[in-house]
Amino acid sequence: MNAPSDRDLILQARRGEAEAFGELVTRYQTSVFNVCYRILHERGEAEDLAQEAFIRAYDRIHIFDIEREFGPWIRRVAANLCLNHLESQKVTTEIDDERDADSAQLPEAVQEVSERSEQIRSALASLPANYRIIVELRHYQEMSYDEIANELNIPLSDVKSHLFRARKLLAEKLHAPD
Amino acid sequence: MHLTDNQLNEYLDEATNERAQIESHLSSCDECAARLSTLQSLFVEIESLPEQALTRNLAAPFTLRPSLPVPQLPTFLTLTVILQAAIALIVLIIAAPFVIQLIPAIEMPSLPNIFSQLQSQWTSWLDILSTFQVPSIPEIPILEMSSLAFVLAGVSVLWILGNGLLLRNQMK
Ligand SMILES: [Zn+2]
Repeated sequence: MNAPSDRDLILQARRGEAEAFGELVTRYQTSVFNVCYRILHERGEAEDLAQEAFIRAYDRIHIFDIEREFGPWIRRVAANLCLNHLESQKVTTEIDDERDADSAQLPEAVQEVSERSEQIRSALASLPANYRIIVELRHYQEMSYDEIANELNIPLSDVKSHLFRARKLLAEKLHAPD
Repeated sequence: MHLTDNQLNEYLDEATNERAQIESHLSSCDECAARLSTLQSLFVEIESLPEQALTRNLAAPFTLRPSLPVPQLPTFLTLTVILQAAIALIVLIIAAPFVIQLIPAIEMPSLPNIFSQLQSQWTSWLDILSTFQVPSIPEIPILEMSSLAFVLAGVSVLWILGNGLLLRNQMK
């Protein structure tokens, strides 16, 4: 028997079958969590916000447009939640470079990759919240300038200027001599 | 004149309408080609970030909801309960005449009567103790009593059997 499609699961969830929605969560939880983790750079918060995104999606399952794809939609919901979270917190834009502690016991090759990943994550986290979200939507969710402008309700010119500025900052962070 | 940063960004984002123009410049300008290559490697680096694993299951609140469907008893057990009730009712009807026969015998004595009875029993007990004589046993309607006991035992056995069956199935 084939696994039910996302659409089938959404229809079942609308009939009150919470387990069907649980199956959808199982399918998308890792990618949704990673959206939050890239934006927030804090694991516990990222997991909380990813959970919150699914709870909101469940509450709105009756008004979800069944013709849309669930995956991209839930990732956008998560990204927006994280942006709101950051804006409400007024998080300082300068986040630590001291988070490499838990990679200490990994094999050398893995450690190099993991160190570089951590540098990228730190660099992302050092961006202002509104830059971070645009990098997320463009690079990880592959949205066009127009789609981003629509999603965030900002002018196209802001999308471009924030994105290009964010990339410049990332390049400076990542390619700066140690 | 060299390409601007905006032009390079838009070119890589496939969001430019001067594509041919940019490409012709890139093919003749090493400096701009190198800038494009640097920007492109930044894109690759950003997008190569590996995904991290979750430490908890976010599906749990949805799959472990308390609103689980109420388990239904199998049909034969439901029938057993009805059958049990019916048999108990029939047995009660059969037993009724015996019970009615016994009711006049169960007269509730008044309080002074109880005292005088207790007193006389006490004195008779003392009598028995002093004389060691076997007292005369009052006549009991043995036949009726044994029929009633038999009926009550039958009802109890049916009741216990039925409940035992239900319990055993719930425990599975
Ligand atoms: Zn040039």
